[in-house]
Amino acid sequence: MTPRRYTVTRMKPSCYDNHGKAVNRKRRSAPSVSFMDAGANTYLIRPNYKDKFKAGVAKEHIREILREQLYGVQYNPEEVPTLSRSLADAIKNRLKDVGFDRYKLIVQVVIGEQRGEGVKMAARCFWDADTDSYAQDIFMNDSLFCVAAAFGVYYY
Amino acid sequence: MQTCNLYYHSQTTFVVDEITTVIKEAVESTIGNSSYQHSKINQWMSSIVESSLSQLTKLGKPFKYIVTCIILQKNGAGLHSASSCFWDNSTDGSCMVRWENKTIYCIVSVFGLAI
Repeated sequence: MTPRRYTVTRMKPSCYDNHGKAVNRKRRSAPSVSFMDAGANTYLIRPNYKDKFKAGVAKEHIREILREQLYGVQYNPEEVPTLSRSLADAIKNRLKDVGFDRYKLIVQVVIGEQRGEGVKMAARCFWDADTDSYAQDIFMNDSLFCVAAAFGVYYY
Repeated sequence: MQTCNLYYHSQTTFVVDEITTVIKEAVESTIGNSSYQHSKINQWMSSIVESSLSQLTKLGKPFKYIVTCIILQKNGAGLHSASSCFWDNSTDGSCMVRWENKTIYCIVSVFGLAI
């Protein structure tokens, strides 16, 4: 038996029934567009209140990470460079996971030896105060001190 | 056409050299020849950060800036600063300027994020 080829022609359902009467057809709803399509520009110029960079939440995460990783650590000049870099990366990854989606993040970690010297750290920013914010925390033990600051800048 | 592209490029990306010069000037003019004095630190700090930020904004580029400054007394202690950033590599950038004299270390870092 020879194989048969079938061509399918799609036909639009008729607006009239077989007796010539107009038929009420349900309109197919327009396909819903997901506003969170990857790569689609959404032109949000202000974050929703619940999506804002929350300083309190960020500070808690920073505190947890500093406590976990620096508890009982002594200042060792060979290890501190890698330690500070890994702390900065850990804090940045944690804040990314928390879900500040449209925020660019900058995390700065400063670790210094405790030798009685005087230190002062300050930051000033030129940004949009409505949308951008920062969080910071300080950890101290007998041999070192650590300051971590995380800045969140909204991406329009 | 080429100069037009170069101009556009410098207006929309972070140019490290320019920023470094601006910052060095700001630090020199504030603490140029002074020795560490605990009572003056606050004033020096505000002055360095404010003057750097105002010079940066005068450049007139479409950037948001974050300037942090650390002033440290020289007494043999060690200090490390690291930063990790989640941004757009093609337009955003940072620069760190280290400055010292006999009794003071000063580290200024500037982060610039394109709007």
